[in-house]
Amino acid sequence: MSASRFTGGVELATGIGLRSPHYRHILSEKPTVGWFEIISENYMVEGGRPLEVLDMIMEQYRVVQHGVGLYPGNANGIDRDHLKRLKRLVKRTKTPWISDHLCWGSIDGRMSHDLLPIPFTFESARKTAENLRMTQDFLEVPLAMENVSSYGEFNGNEMTEWEFLAEVAELADVGILLDVNNIYVSAINNEFDPLDYVNFVPPERVAQIHIAGHSRYERFIVDTHDHPVVDPVWKLYERAIERCGPVATLLEWDGKIPSFEEVWTEAKKSEAWRDAALAKKGDHAAA
Amino acid sequence: MRPLDEIQREFFSAVQMPLRGRSRESTELAPNDEGHSPVFLAIADELMKPGSNLSSAERLELYHRQYWFRLLDSVAEDFPVLQKIAGEETFWKLIEAYLTALPSNSFTLRHLGGRMADFIAGWDGLDKTRQRWFAALARLEYAYMEIYEAAEWEPVPPERFMDAELALQPHVILLDLPVPADRCAEWEDFSPDDETPVYLAIWRGESGAHSQCRLEGIEFELLKRLRKRGLLESLFAEPTEHEPSPDEVARWFASWQQRKWIALSPTADVEEFPTPVRRRERDNDWSGVDKMGSQARAMED
Repeated sequence: MSASRFTGGVELATGIGLRSPHYRHILSEKPTVGWFEIISENYMVEGGRPLEVLDMIMEQYRVVQHGVGLYPGNANGIDRDHLKRLKRLVKRTKTPWISDHLCWGSIDGRMSHDLLPIPFTFESARKTAENLRMTQDFLEVPLAMENVSSYGEFNGNEMTEWEFLAEVAELADVGILLDVNNIYVSAINNEFDPLDYVNFVPPERVAQIHIAGHSRYERFIVDTHDHPVVDPVWKLYERAIERCGPVATLLEWDGKIPSFEEVWTEAKKSEAWRDAALAKKGDHAAA
Repeated sequence: MRPLDEIQREFFSAVQMPLRGRSRESTELAPNDEGHSPVFLAIADELMKPGSNLSSAERLELYHRQYWFRLLDSVAEDFPVLQKIAGEETFWKLIEAYLTALPSNSFTLRHLGGRMADFIAGWDGLDKTRQRWFAALARLEYAYMEIYEAAEWEPVPPERFMDAELALQPHVILLDLPVPADRCAEWEDFSPDDETPVYLAIWRGESGAHSQCRLEGIEFELLKRLRKRGLLESLFAEPTEHEPSPDEVARWFASWQQRKWIALSPTADVEEFPTPVRRRERDNDWSGVDKMGSQARAMED
């Protein structure tokens, strides 16, 4: 697996998101899983069940933190108290890198609890990068920014989403968590070619890839993480691996969560796509 | 393009507007025939780029409904008894008024109901009796969330009882309620009779689930003193309303010890990196752990 300065030099293969319906199975059966991704905010507490479970999981498995509340695109800046809580958890988990979403989510102290789209402007890119640089310095662990699924873009955007992602990553010197399902969702909703996105992302910055399912409606897609991964998303994944190499890959399943075995089997499908992509990459290199 | 903070302020103001039309019909809120306000439509036109599949307003509406669906579900989940005794119509009116007046100010949805009791106490959608009862009940139900994520310190060993600085476990919450709201869980609907104030302790039990009991007045006062931390003798340094008998004190302490409420007051280092006390053998009720999940949220077209 590929390691880089954006993964803290740690190589990970296939993982799944740690979800409460699976706790009992994981703790009793100790299944063979490459790694678990945890939602940081679920464990940013003083004590009780969440931390107790986390400590037991960490005795057996590597965990990587994934956040939903950093909001680096906030015009008001990053919440320092949030960073302090996050850093306490980082010290506990020893996560090799930490990821969150390239979005905004609160203004004037009011929280949306959503991952809201950032206007793709140079002002936003500068502000977001400034927030991320400060965050990475404070946390002292590599950061990776995930592209979010979106249902709209702003009038007056000055660049495409993939240009914005690359610009912010470059300005802040952070890694990228490339969510190929989100690319697909946003491509359908915002009417662009998802391959343009995958082909543009700077491969050397991609620290991790997310795969997931979604819900398709007549005119748009909602990012529900409650279905298996669809073929067009697997094809984007294959292309991403072809460009980025064998990056740590994680399946998210958050709604109508099936058995552990079913989730893990879905995640393991990525390995066949990964191997096919690497073979293609090898063929291209040989040619 | 306008400055980023102005765009975000305007976007958020639209997302917080009351749900209308089909989005509202997908919730438990009372239906409303009105379409979107002209202000919502104007913000959508100004901010969101239309496409061939979705208009500007439809795009903004997807965020609008996502915001409300998530918050309504989350706050309702934390007040099941209040929902039952208030009745569906009153409960959802209350929740909508609460979220409109007091948007979330915490990083986690777990804290969404933290200001509910104070809000109810002053909400003009209820008569005075209901304000009193529902506020007390909301305080009680929110305590169940608070103990869920509170720290647990090392229980005091018997040999340290006389010389150690003692503390009340953080996962024990003391409530002084003006009405016996702990009885509401037994009711089918709102049927208040006795309005005697009650003192309660709510704590995280061995199973991880909450437990609760009523306290006597002086017992409550002594536990409040224990919360401030101190040597055993400091609990009795100030006089209480009436002098408890040695038998009463012995009975209370035995009960607190048996429930593991009394902890060693931790050092600063311990508080910085709390380590939960491990229990491997118990029922595994993990509900609530994933409350702040991903952005994923099912919606109907």
